[in-house]
Amino acid sequence: MDVYQIKALSFTYPLASRRALFLPELCLGKGEFTVLCGRSGCGKTTLLRHLKPALTPHGESAGEILFFGKPLAELGLREQASRIGFVQQNPDNQIVTDKVWHELAFGLESLGTDSETLRLRVAETAGFFGIQGWFRESVSRLSGGQKQLLSLASVMAMQPEVLILDEPTGQLDPVAAGEFLDMVQRINRELGITVLLSEQRLEAVFPMADRVLVMDEGEIIADGSPREAGTRLEAMEHPMRYALPSPMQIYAGIKNNLPCPVTVREGRQWLDRLEIRPQVPASAGREKPDTLQKPDPPAIELREVWFRYEKPLPDVLRGLTMKIPGGVLYCIAGGNGSGKTTALSVMAGLLRPYRGQVCLGGEVLSGKAAGHGGMRLSMLPQSPQTLFVKSTVRADLLEMLEGGAISPGEREDRLRAVSELTEIAGLLSRHPFDLSGGEQQRAALAKVLLAEPQILLMDEPTKGMDGDFKLRLASILKELTGRGVTVVMVSHDIEFCARYADLCCLFFDGGMVSEGAPGSFFSGNSVYTTAANRMARHVFPEAVTAEDVIKRANAALGSR
Amino acid sequence: MRDAFSSYHPTVNLAYFAGIILLSMLLLHPYFLVFSFLGGLAYFLRLRGRGALRFCFLFLLPLMAAAAVLNPLFNHAGVTILAYLPDGNPVTLESICYGAAAAGMFGAVLLWFACCGDVMTSDKWIYLFGRIFPAQSLLLSMALRFIPRYQMQAGVISRSQACLGRGATGKGILRKARGGLRILSILTTWALENAIETADSMKARGYGLPGRTSFSLFRFDGRDRIVFFILMGLAAAAFWGLAAGAAGIRFFPSIHLPETTPSVVAIRILYPVLCFLPLILDAAEELQWTYIRSRL
Repeated sequence: MDVYQIKALSFTYPLASRRALFLPELCLGKGEFTVLCGRSGCGKTTLLRHLKPALTPHGESAGEILFFGKPLAELGLREQASRIGFVQQNPDNQIVTDKVWHELAFGLESLGTDSETLRLRVAETAGFFGIQGWFRESVSRLSGGQKQLLSLASVMAMQPEVLILDEPTGQLDPVAAGEFLDMVQRINRELGITVLLSEQRLEAVFPMADRVLVMDEGEIIADGSPREAGTRLEAMEHPMRYALPSPMQIYAGIKNNLPCPVTVREGRQWLDRLEIRPQVPASAGREKPDTLQKPDPPAIELREVWFRYEKPLPDVLRGLTMKIPGGVLYCIAGGNGSGKTTALSVMAGLLRPYRGQVCLGGEVLSGKAAGHGGMRLSMLPQSPQTLFVKSTVRADLLEMLEGGAISPGEREDRLRAVSELTEIAGLLSRHPFDLSGGEQQRAALAKVLLAEPQILLMDEPTKGMDGDFKLRLASILKELTGRGVTVVMVSHDIEFCARYADLCCLFFDGGMVSEGAPGSFFSGNSVYTTAANRMARHVFPEAVTAEDVIKRANAALGSR
Repeated sequence: MRDAFSSYHPTVNLAYFAGIILLSMLLLHPYFLVFSFLGGLAYFLRLRGRGALRFCFLFLLPLMAAAAVLNPLFNHAGVTILAYLPDGNPVTLESICYGAAAAGMFGAVLLWFACCGDVMTSDKWIYLFGRIFPAQSLLLSMALRFIPRYQMQAGVISRSQACLGRGATGKGILRKARGGLRILSILTTWALENAIETADSMKARGYGLPGRTSFSLFRFDGRDRIVFFILMGLAAAAFWGLAAGAAGIRFFPSIHLPETTPSVVAIRILYPVLCFLPLILDAAEELQWTYIRSRL
């Protein structure tokens, strides 16, 4: 029997002119692992929330949803609370109580479970999720990944029959996201629970999925196995195809009759079957990064910088030395706790190293953060919401220009220029908190750019963002570096760095371990590199992005 | 290292502190005061270690000294006049004694409250309250979750604003105040916005259904029962002594101590046991461990 049967469902938000959702027919089978993907704002969340009446948004809806053959609307509150599990994106907002064990018990307490059963269920769940080690811990001391795992565990303690997850890894770094998704897969495989998951990281979830649904503008445009859905997107030339796993993108770019690979392993086998001869890299060994040859003073220079937050705590930066030339997009990659964000704060003058020097534009940054060594520097923090003060984007941006000796006409000009650059001209009258994540990020960027920085620091700007946003961000950054602005970005997003950065570096244990242009940088790494490179490095060691591989493979096949 | 008494059931903890604090307040006889004070001090030292000494010397002792000195300056009752103040008021032996006793009582009660604050952690309060007021207890738990969270977020916002040059730092009180207000305003908007998601998460997990139960990790074991009865017995004896006048003292107009009868002696032996109960339990556990180790 199907878990869900959706018939002619349509939904319109109040005051909206366009339908947010239109599904003629959709069934979800028992025990299936279904991935729902699509650009942000395409209706994924609206659909998922329709599957749990307690969370269904207000608006005009028509059609029918059956849950195990019965109308979903008739399901009592008690039943839907326990039978339909729902996990949202933000790990912090979902946790209600202060202790891990209490959070695990929260749902069962609501259901009025007696003490004995509750004790057993909490114990079982904590065991399954490996929570014993931090069972009595305060929630505030957990990492983001642990918090999200706790949210999942607390839903699973109620023993749901279906688990719905709305972009659960959006706020997590790749390692934590991987662990979380593995856990979801275990729940599906070992407990046989039906999973419906919306996700941006298709690279990670495609190999797990039984079925993929692709949404666009409230409708399902592709439905089938990961392979079928991918092929369909490529055939439609839909923008979502850039979000597909690299092996699928590469497969689509090369004419062949073999079956489509999904994972890196399959991709490697597929490349072998194409029988392309390995290319010897143009220059053997690693060349020195070209930064050192530039004559003019670097925009940012760190000389043996040591930093720790408090005296008894361990060092976060250990003799960090780096030079960032002017007018480039410089990406800092590295694992959690490697000191990336701290390094950024040190550059911004927000934190002071206890040893070593920070130079901006050749001048040593003095103790006072006020004088930025003659260079104007701005930093875009990780959460854009912390920047907005006013009730419209326009007022918020104008507020940045207050105080300076600028005429009203000039203010308007600068506002217009920056809103065109960041593509938010159409959003100026909206409330900043009503914007989508990507729009908020762009509005925050606009606000920061109004200070006309010569150096722009960004902390994880692509976190939780869809491919569409990344394309736009890349073009904005290109425009900025073209004007001579130096952009330094901390990111976990290897694919973004590989595609758009001028220079990349890798942080580990408070220092920089390697640096270079993306091509040489990533081909020099063997694990910390893009999926395309991992898949094709035995044939094209220098190819880093999917396009690189496609270009080289087509050239090799054409010359044969 | 956590002490043994903290690991007992919250009911035992709370009953003990309620009893000892009340008795410390009522028993003004110097003999009992000394034990209330020493018991509180010893347990406090056990809980906090070296940090407790700083609290005692910088805060507790000056406060007690002030209480002891101020009383004879303002209280002139009593028949044994020792001297006259410059303004012509007498300084009496009784008021000096009373001041000392009051200071001792004050110090003992403060120490016991400090111990109580350390032993009665938030989850114990939540558990005890949850029995009587489940909804309020959940509220308390949520408050304890959100206070550190808001503090952290305020830090994040402050740093973000500093990136724009709009933090709560800089020169001038007015600028600082304006920066602080901005942070508060952003924090409020952020909190309201994010609370919607929290509410959804609660709703999704069935919050609001009738018949909510309250789960806890605490269990009332056999050892809790034994200690609870011992402590009840000791406290009852002390209260009985108080009621019978065996443990009392009269300061004014002249100092009068109760006569030494067998019941007074009995209470004088039992009360110190009550005061040192947490340390006795701790020592018993320590002994047990040494014994187990020695047999290995």
